[in-house]
Amino acid sequence: MPLRRLFAITSILFFAVLAISPLKNALRPYRAIQREYAKLGAARAKSQKLAQAYQARPVSIQQIWLPGLQNRVDRCTTCHLGVQDETMAGAPGVFRLHSRSFHTPKDFDRFGCTSCHGGQGLATLEEDAHGHAENAGTPMTPLPFIESGCGRCHQAEQVAGAAILSRGRKLMEKAGCFACHLVKGHEGFRSEAPPLESVALKTGGEALKRWLKDPKGLDTNASMPNFHLADADIEALTHFIFNTVPSRTLSEKIRTAGEEKLGDPINGKKIFAEARCISCHTVEGKGNGTAPELSKVASRNTQPWLLAFLRDPQAFNPRTRMPRFGFSEADTRDVVAYMVTEFKDFEAPKEMLDPVHVNQSLAEKGQKLFRQLGCTACHAVGGAADRIGPELNRIGDKRAASLDFGKRTDVKHTLPAWLQAKLEDPRSLGAGLKMPSYGFTPEDNRAMVTALLALGADPVPDRYQHQPAQRASLVPGGGVGALFDRYRCLSCHQIGDRGADISTAPLTAEGSKVQKDWVIDYLVLSYTIRPILTDRMPVFRMTKEEATTLAQAFETFYLDPSIPEDPFAGQPATSRDPVEGKHIFDTLGCKACHIQGDKGGYFGPPLNEAGRRLKPGWTYKWLKGPQQWRADVRCPNYGLTDADALKLTSFLQTLVQKPAALKTAKGGGR
Amino acid sequence: MSTFQLATLSTWIRSSAVWRSIVRHGVADTNRNRSLIIFENLFLHVHPVKVREKTLKFSHTYWLGGITMVASFVLFATGILLMFYYHPSVPQAYQDMKELKFVVDNGVFYRNMHRWAAHLMVLGAMLHMLRVFYHRAYRPPRQFNWVVGVILLLITLLLSYTGYLLPWDQLAFWGVSVGTNMAKEAPLIGKPLRFLLLGGNIVSENALLRFYVLHCVVLPVVLILFLSVHIWRIRKDGGVQGPPEKDASEEVEP
Repeated sequence: MPLRRLFAITSILFFAVLAISPLKNALRPYRAIQREYAKLGAARAKSQKLAQAYQARPVSIQQIWLPGLQNRVDRCTTCHLGVQDETMAGAPGVFRLHSRSFHTPKDFDRFGCTSCHGGQGLATLEEDAHGHAENAGTPMTPLPFIESGCGRCHQAEQVAGAAILSRGRKLMEKAGCFACHLVKGHEGFRSEAPPLESVALKTGGEALKRWLKDPKGLDTNASMPNFHLADADIEALTHFIFNTVPSRTLSEKIRTAGEEKLGDPINGKKIFAEARCISCHTVEGKGNGTAPELSKVASRNTQPWLLAFLRDPQAFNPRTRMPRFGFSEADTRDVVAYMVTEFKDFEAPKEMLDPVHVNQSLAEKGQKLFRQLGCTACHAVGGAADRIGPELNRIGDKRAASLDFGKRTDVKHTLPAWLQAKLEDPRSLGAGLKMPSYGFTPEDNRAMVTALLALGADPVPDRYQHQPAQRASLVPGGGVGALFDRYRCLSCHQIGDRGADISTAPLTAEGSKVQKDWVIDYLVLSYTIRPILTDRMPVFRMTKEEATTLAQAFETFYLDPSIPEDPFAGQPATSRDPVEGKHIFDTLGCKACHIQGDKGGYFGPPLNEAGRRLKPGWTYKWLKGPQQWRADVRCPNYGLTDADALKLTSFLQTLVQKPAALKTAKGGGR
Repeated sequence: MSTFQLATLSTWIRSSAVWRSIVRHGVADTNRNRSLIIFENLFLHVHPVKVREKTLKFSHTYWLGGITMVASFVLFATGILLMFYYHPSVPQAYQDMKELKFVVDNGVFYRNMHRWAAHLMVLGAMLHMLRVFYHRAYRPPRQFNWVVGVILLLITLLLSYTGYLLPWDQLAFWGVSVGTNMAKEAPLIGKPLRFLLLGGNIVSENALLRFYVLHCVVLPVVLILFLSVHIWRIRKDGGVQGPPEKDASEEVEP
């Protein structure tokens, strides 16, 4: 009976095959891991009872289910059992305790795991969960970019505790990404790039060609990226740019400036140093670096243009961050004379600044190129900015399979690796790509990839979104507004949510903070408040009237209702006790950072004129909690009682000595 | 010794009231009795009363029809198990594939059984048809059953195709996109047919729901219906192949 025997054998084989599946089921890796965890927990437990509890744990799949957050099911804790278990601090590998952060350990049940770490929460096998298995889905976010998870809920540009994400978002703004790419919340972005009409007035053919070849080569602070242009294209673009006709007022300004004689470079040098240009510019790398490097500026810009620009920068570029200084005609000539003699590239050829004789056909070709390359996105000619890059709103959830890696074989097939490669060398990922190179440092690259990965496809539900309350950012109109505009206060200071972060002193509550008389003196002739800082307020040569107008505006608009005008009102008379205050001042060791009398540290502002500078209400509020104004304030919060804070305030109010610098200086009033 | 005891046990069981209420006929080895067993049993009555040993020879059928039918039984069994875990909705469908893999006990086994049995059923049905064709078994009196067989093949293919969309992964989505676009090119009825099939103009939630209902309700019911007719016709046509049997009256009892 061979047939029957065959039937018997195949039947037995069939049952053996059927047994494989339950067997595999029983031997799933997580079961062994959970048994190992129980053993480890029992060994580490501090009491017999706890050890027994570890051993009594049933082996089962663990999950965090979040119906309210994109219906996430995270089973990571099936293997990562120790993430919330203090006993597992310092435990090896898979069992270790999650590091502490703002949301851990308190928010595991609110966010699960994948909302920050990415990966496949449903999986119970390591390879699948981490996304390394084939077709497992998007893998986990690599740890260098982990802050992208923060950005999915925290929409604001600056996120406390997420430095890399915040830096990335700031860089995206600074690099001008939004000029070419649409990103939600930045639809109204406009580049600060100068309009082209004044370029022909400003520079020469050779200088322009060198700039177009490699902007960062000429100026390390340049924000314009490198378009890797061919020489023929540079030629065409140069002819196009020199073919644009500047407005008559600008040409007139340049013409009259050209007729003036050079001033005195020695006096110019003095004014240059006094005005603190390097609070924004750099000279040979020294300085803030948000504005152009000046050490070779005279080889790129003609002398008449420097003169005219310094007198009225805002006429040449309405969106410039450069303030209009109040130098006298002669002073400006002196400064320019200093720049022309000192800030020169001595290796540059003589014809650097020679104008170009425009060839019309080349200029037309250049015009076409100008549009094709997307130059208009930043240098809007006639205001029609068009975004030539793709929208970036959902880029953080793009599948690696839908990305073009071109001929690059060295790039891992994941989204973060692709973004890194794209920012490093944009045109290497395929033929015919137009994005220019920005030359980001590896740290900047990492920060920007983090910010990009935060732009997810699935919007986070409203109750998970975190938008900090908008702060009022009032900038008055009229004469005050004109002064704000002229001196470009917002290029360095913040007012509410507006403005830049160069100055550490926001103006939002300036009127509640400083005394009117002091602020007038300070605006007329500003001096160093904090000796340790390199970026200092420039000396604008403001008139006393202008300073008074601004001080009046501070007193009117920039008040914080939570700061009392008179903190002593309604308090017992004993609270006004400078002697006791002095005692507290000495006990707390304030002199470690502050100068008082003729001794003290340099970290904080000297307090010799604190009573003349600050209003008592502000001082009192500050002492009650210095970090309420800026999170990064180093002044410790001593937790003073109301009575002690008032006593210390009354002591500080007695310090009214004028600093030595102010006595000798010759005041404003030009 | 032991055989003797087993024999008494089996006689005791067979003579019990319960046994005799279920199996109503003795197993006396007469043709009449054999026929009665078949006739009076709902499940067996579609089967031929008499099967000639030579028609059971492997080289006559290669067991292809039988394999196809067994595969369909496996599909019914595993399919019902899978239905316990599957939601035909866009956010859930692919997630359920992962649940089967990662959480459900033996989930991967059920899914793979269903998949491989489906492949086997399609392959078996096609080879079965080839066998019938080359054995000229489609000729009268089996011409009707040939047509039923063609319908069964079509139902098998449709089942296979509708099941393809249900995992709701990229392969499924594009497979069905391409397939329904091909259907669209049919003259006159193409576009309405595609619209009807997808419940719209794109492969979306509606398409998923329609394919699910077709795959789990409509097509299986039709399959059972035609399969019954198919088996029943085999009996009526006198076995799977060869000339029709002679009239029973002409047969002589041995």
